[in-house]
Amino acid sequence: MRQMLNDRGRQVLRLWGVALIALALASTAAADQIKLTIIGPGSNLAPIAISQLKNLGGDDDGTVSGQFVHTLTRDLKLSGYFRMVDPHAYIEKPQESGYTLGQFNFADWSSINAQFLVKGSVSASDQQVTVQAFLFDVAAQRQLLGKQFTGGSEDVTRMANRFADAVMKSVTGVQGPFDSRIAMVSTRGGRFKEIYTMAVDGEDLFRVTNNPTINLFPSFDRRVRRVLYVSYKSGVPGLYVYDLGSRRESQIPSPAGNLIGGVLMPSGDTVVGAVEAKGATNLYLLGLDGSVIRRLTQGASINVSPAVSADGSMLAFTSDRGGTPQVYVMSMSGGPARRLTYKGSYNTNPAFSPDGSQIAYQSRSGGSFEIYRISVGGGAPVYLTDGQHPAWSPDGRYIAFTIGRSGGLGLFLTQGAGGKVVGKLTTEEDGNATDPAWSSWLGE
Amino acid sequence: MQRIRPGLHGWANKGYGLGLACWVGTLALAAALTACSSSKPASQGTGTEGAGPGMGVQNLGGAGGSSLSQFQKGTLGEPGSGGPLTDIHFDYDDYTIRPQDGEILRTNAKWLSDHGSARVQVEGHTDERGSEEYNLALGAKRAQAAKDYLTTLGVSSDRISTISYGKELPLCTDHTEDCWAQNRRDHFVVQGAQ
Repeated sequence: MRQMLNDRGRQVLRLWGVALIALALASTAAADQIKLTIIGPGSNLAPIAISQLKNLGGDDDGTVSGQFVHTLTRDLKLSGYFRMVDPHAYIEKPQESGYTLGQFNFADWSSINAQFLVKGSVSASDQQVTVQAFLFDVAAQRQLLGKQFTGGSEDVTRMANRFADAVMKSVTGVQGPFDSRIAMVSTRGGRFKEIYTMAVDGEDLFRVTNNPTINLFPSFDRRVRRVLYVSYKSGVPGLYVYDLGSRRESQIPSPAGNLIGGVLMPSGDTVVGAVEAKGATNLYLLGLDGSVIRRLTQGASINVSPAVSADGSMLAFTSDRGGTPQVYVMSMSGGPARRLTYKGSYNTNPAFSPDGSQIAYQSRSGGSFEIYRISVGGGAPVYLTDGQHPAWSPDGRYIAFTIGRSGGLGLFLTQGAGGKVVGKLTTEEDGNATDPAWSSWLGE
Repeated sequence: MQRIRPGLHGWANKGYGLGLACWVGTLALAAALTACSSSKPASQGTGTEGAGPGMGVQNLGGAGGSSLSQFQKGTLGEPGSGGPLTDIHFDYDDYTIRPQDGEILRTNAKWLSDHGSARVQVEGHTDERGSEEYNLALGAKRAQAAKDYLTTLGVSSDRISTISYGKELPLCTDHTEDCWAQNRRDHFVVQGAQ
């Protein structure tokens, strides 16, 4: 399946092309009059059935329907809120029955214990694919959600991702995180660490770097137009920014010494770079042309792993200024840094939650790392899971992370009693997959 | 700024005997990875075609060149690839030159004095523990510490460059203290005439 999807790289280019149009379909029962049963983690997983789309023309071989159902199924399984009713149990024939309220028999679905049901239609031509999709509450025999998507054939996975996000909003009250991208470092296909981006379910892989050296620390801007990373492609470490639209890479000149780390500011027009000079590493706000806008840290100690809040106002980073690596926070406009972590002798890789209230970070325990979250204002850290490189989802509910040393990327759901690991985002094909960065929602 | 860790003693003489085993292990790993190389290519960016092996810093005087070029060739850690200068080693999360390594640096400085046209690049490396970015900064501290020491011994600072590879280019990939001790190193790459 993945191989087929890998050929769909054009989708990445089109993410900003306004090719994909979504409409909310008026429900026969007005949606805003429906009192939803909100489901949550900790309760039993909600059984959901996802029927193949009814072919209204142009999808005789079921390609679009298969892709849509495949991606929607992967997303909702990963979410940690649903379990799939086995399609082999489905009674109804999707091509022989209707897909709107009143045009099919809810008993076909209640009898196989589906709590929720997705049905829909597809019509496709050479130029355009239109998918209508509906979510039903089977027991209440009500429509909860209706959406129509129009785009090219390469947009079908995104249609499914966006419908998954809407399904999650309908049944959990919060939009899902699946219409977004994850960047990572992977050694797939060889020994060298390269930068990739992929869909949240691990498909639609896009290779950003292709140099047999060392590539590290990917980050996105808010509008997901650029990826920033460190590369040794010239023989020495440098910061590079890759434009996902034009597919052009450019190097950010170092103001002094070597740029050994960095993160894109949300605007994508500036970066916080870690500049190493004479053994000291300090953080600077830099233009993409390497111009120094502001020096953020001073002194001869190590200051690395910058992270910036979504509104661009706060900086978190790792410093050994107090004797051991610890997480500090400060205002991007300057002023003193405040030490945030006190528990443990090695705390690093901070990441802001999307609302800016929490920081996830990794803390060494014995020979391995654990991930904690802590309020930006301070307080007691809360253990989340074993692993490294926490990255928050755009909805703030999930954290992608590196399992163990490089056991691939895992997905942690922060909701419920202490949270739980709900899935794995990579496979053995991805080699050592590490250091995820999770983008914002891709938007309209 | 250097932190002193009283009571900690060196790893310099530990684990050297593992060199060959690690080399074999590295080759085996490389072979395994080659055998596993994916038949499922990702869609690909076009703007980032990198230079092939051998690009980067030109290495004329040393055997094997930089650790990165050796990694590219699959020879990193191979016996005899070290060049004329000897590595020094560090305590965990530390960049202080240890007394026994001062002797090694004096020998290296003598060699540089005898080869007055040679330049040297000091590579700072760390073990696998800790985060990637912090280790890059720590490796830079280690490289700078050796440069400062060599400069004190009379080697002109403009003959010495530094680079950090952090934890990215280990000589030894086992998860053991012996292995980590070998990887916490400064490596000296002799380059051509200035």
